[in-house]
Amino acid sequence: MRFFSNSIGAQLRAGIVLVLILIAGCTTPAPPATPTPALRHMVFMAGYKPQANLPFVGVYVAKEKGYFAAEGLDVEIQHSTGRGEHLQLLMAGGVQVTTQDAAVLLQRRADPGLPLVSIALIGQRGQQAFAALKSSGMQTPKDWEGKKVGYKGTPPPDLFAIMEAAGVDRNRVELVNVGFDPRVLVQGLVDVYPLFKSNEPYLLQQMGYELVIWDAADYGVPTLGLTYVTSEEQIRRDPDLLVRFLRAALKGIEDARANPEEAVDIVLRYAPQADRGHMRFMLETELKDAESEVTRAHGLGWQTREQWEALYEVLRRYNAIPKPVEIERVFTNELLQKARGR
Amino acid sequence: MSPMEMELPRLRSGARLAPWVPLLALPLALLGWELIVREARVPVYLVPAPSVILSTLWAERGLYLQATGVTLGEAAAGLALGMGVALALAVATAFWPPLERAIMPLVLLLKAIPLVAIAPILTLWFGFGPLPKVLMTALLTFYPALVPLMTGLRAVDPAALELLRAWDASAWEIFRHLRWPSARPYTFAALKTAIPLALIGAVVAEWTGASGGLGRTMWLAQTNLDMPRLFAAALILAAVSLAGYTGAALLERRARWWSPEEAHP
Amino acid sequence: MLEIRMERVHHAFPAPSGRWVIFEDLNLEVRPGSFTVIVGPSGCGKSTLLRLAAGLLTPTAGRIRIGELSPAQARAARRIGWMGQQPALLPWRTVEGNIRLALEVNGRALRPPLTVEELIAMVGLKGFERAYPRMLSGGMQQRVALARTLAAGPAVWLMDEPFAALDALTRTQLLEEVERLWRAFGATVLWVTHDLHEAVRLGDEVVVLAGRPARIRARIPLPDPRPRTDERRIGEWVERVRAALMGGAG
Repeated sequence: MRFFSNSIGAQLRAGIVLVLILIAGCTTPAPPATPTPALRHMVFMAGYKPQANLPFVGVYVAKEKGYFAAEGLDVEIQHSTGRGEHLQLLMAGGVQVTTQDAAVLLQRRADPGLPLVSIALIGQRGQQAFAALKSSGMQTPKDWEGKKVGYKGTPPPDLFAIMEAAGVDRNRVELVNVGFDPRVLVQGLVDVYPLFKSNEPYLLQQMGYELVIWDAADYGVPTLGLTYVTSEEQIRRDPDLLVRFLRAALKGIEDARANPEEAVDIVLRYAPQADRGHMRFMLETELKDAESEVTRAHGLGWQTREQWEALYEVLRRYNAIPKPVEIERVFTNELLQKARGR
Repeated sequence: MSPMEMELPRLRSGARLAPWVPLLALPLALLGWELIVREARVPVYLVPAPSVILSTLWAERGLYLQATGVTLGEAAAGLALGMGVALALAVATAFWPPLERAIMPLVLLLKAIPLVAIAPILTLWFGFGPLPKVLMTALLTFYPALVPLMTGLRAVDPAALELLRAWDASAWEIFRHLRWPSARPYTFAALKTAIPLALIGAVVAEWTGASGGLGRTMWLAQTNLDMPRLFAAALILAAVSLAGYTGAALLERRARWWSPEEAHP
Repeated sequence: MLEIRMERVHHAFPAPSGRWVIFEDLNLEVRPGSFTVIVGPSGCGKSTLLRLAAGLLTPTAGRIRIGELSPAQARAARRIGWMGQQPALLPWRTVEGNIRLALEVNGRALRPPLTVEELIAMVGLKGFERAYPRMLSGGMQQRVALARTLAAGPAVWLMDEPFAALDALTRTQLLEEVERLWRAFGATVLWVTHDLHEAVRLGDEVVVLAGRPARIRARIPLPDPRPRTDERRIGEWVERVRAALMGGAG
């Protein structure tokens, strides 16, 4: 998942999104085609390109193994380019369910005020971490002092959180804006690089580099990962559709957990250019982060108010959220419950 | 009033370079590149050697062929649409000059819209298929085609125009006998500009969301840090663009045989 | 054969400093079938006069008639033959095609007096029917332009220094041809030139135009029979015309 905003871009994009939503709101999206009377058509848009992010995998497996069809759904799978159009299309009704990082979801609810609702929290821990080359000799975040630390877009709150938790002097750390290109770490342009735990470490390993990785959660910082997200409007309009979707997708994730090789085969059908080892690594990493005390108690995808409030607090504390947000409206377990309690 | 592009350079003996000679530049550049990468031991995830790129290309030639087909299709359709509309507008303004003043502000507005911003709207209105890509490509090629076409239809020999007026020629007759033939060199100039633009447009459109095509291949490769694939796709793109431009230039030569550049006895 | 009449013609162009008056009160009659030559210093309005006669410009005041028709009607009826300094041939058409153009444009009601082949032969370009303009010399191109002018058989020829851009030898040849063709067609000719020698050789009458605004300073009839080969006589007439040109207020 990409962070949606960058320093100047945030305002601009917020503005563009608002304008586009206004325009789109005045248009009626094409009515979904119903191929056979029994199947209802809907569009799921993955928040990024086809790969083994767990929410995507659930959907791929559910489609390939006929779980959606069994629920009476004809799910059209689309992929976003990571520029945020998945949220625009969700708001405009062109897409019924998409995925989104929990922190970004909160930020979008605050500004520009998109009525997003998380209907399942798949990633119980955040996706991001910080890494340095093992050869650098760095061992704890304290070693960041006097070094260059990279960030993508805007410095994320967990960067400051981890520094505070580890007692790092913020003023002695130089922050550098980097894009998605782990090669900057290899070339020495930064000493610490912000990465997605399930993604870049594999690439860097293939390039022949060992890493040392720091996860904010290990330092007591609350982080959350990917959600299945929809709009308040969609919940009002057709909650049954969402229930069926969740039921099938979660079953797909369970299948992937039991049968990762098969799941990777399925992912590769959607991502023919991807590397098998890379996808396997991504899947395994995310499967680990899908488990927590909460899921052990209530099942895959469950989300609590405490979790969301803790994340919200981190964002607030480090000025990553411009306006207050009503936590109750941000998530719901209702559809999960219905999906489970048949 | 020569609208003619610069001719191919002449060798001292007076012979002209054949049109395919510029195409030699590409293989020569590749050779130099290979040598540099080998000598400097540049890692493959930074800059791959042409040999690696070409073997990737060959190994997955079916995939690249298909991707090229998709992008070419979008580019061709977008080009046809963009140039078609530009032509229609140019012809209309040739018949009703006041029209130009009326539409120019709109045309400039259209030109100023960043493709990336309207891509989601197009997707919303026209779905996830190829139509939004075609429209975006058309938008990109429209303006660069419109200007030479309008100019060409106006760049007529004033003496010939006066003559036709002395014959009380109708606007249609003036168009058919004078404006349209006079505009031919400009039409080819427009085509030569629009063809590479159409390819770029299709590729950029694919970056904003697509399920196939060279642009998509390049984007996926970039995010996977798969440099050989990225370069392979870029290479094909460059080759196709060059071929298209050369093709247009060849057509232009054939159609401009009447131009008075050859010295007469 | 049609006469040309210009009555009380006033013509002005808008200019940065107000209006630029070319003609204030111009009166000119050209007898049917006659060959009238207009001379004058550069920029005095000779070409403008011709354009007014052709209806390519509308006078700001006054009346112009070609026979019974207004210039616009005369153009529509293809009664006007126009020829300028530039041959203005269409480079993508052959010699034959360029001449034929005169019959294709607005040519529904035409009954051409000669075939295109005959016209080509008449201007001495037999054998060049399928040549393209870029292959022809300046003189040859003007011959094509001449043939084109005559193709529709116009009753009135308006010619603006048609041979000014050619060398002396070609010019002489072409002038003889024009004379010959004029006699054959019997058209009314209004011919503009700055070459007094040429004027005196060709015309039934020389109209001297000068001044700002332009006025007819003199009208000098030339009664000598054609062909005019007596160089001494020609020289005398040239002096007469020059005197009128230089003379005081007309």
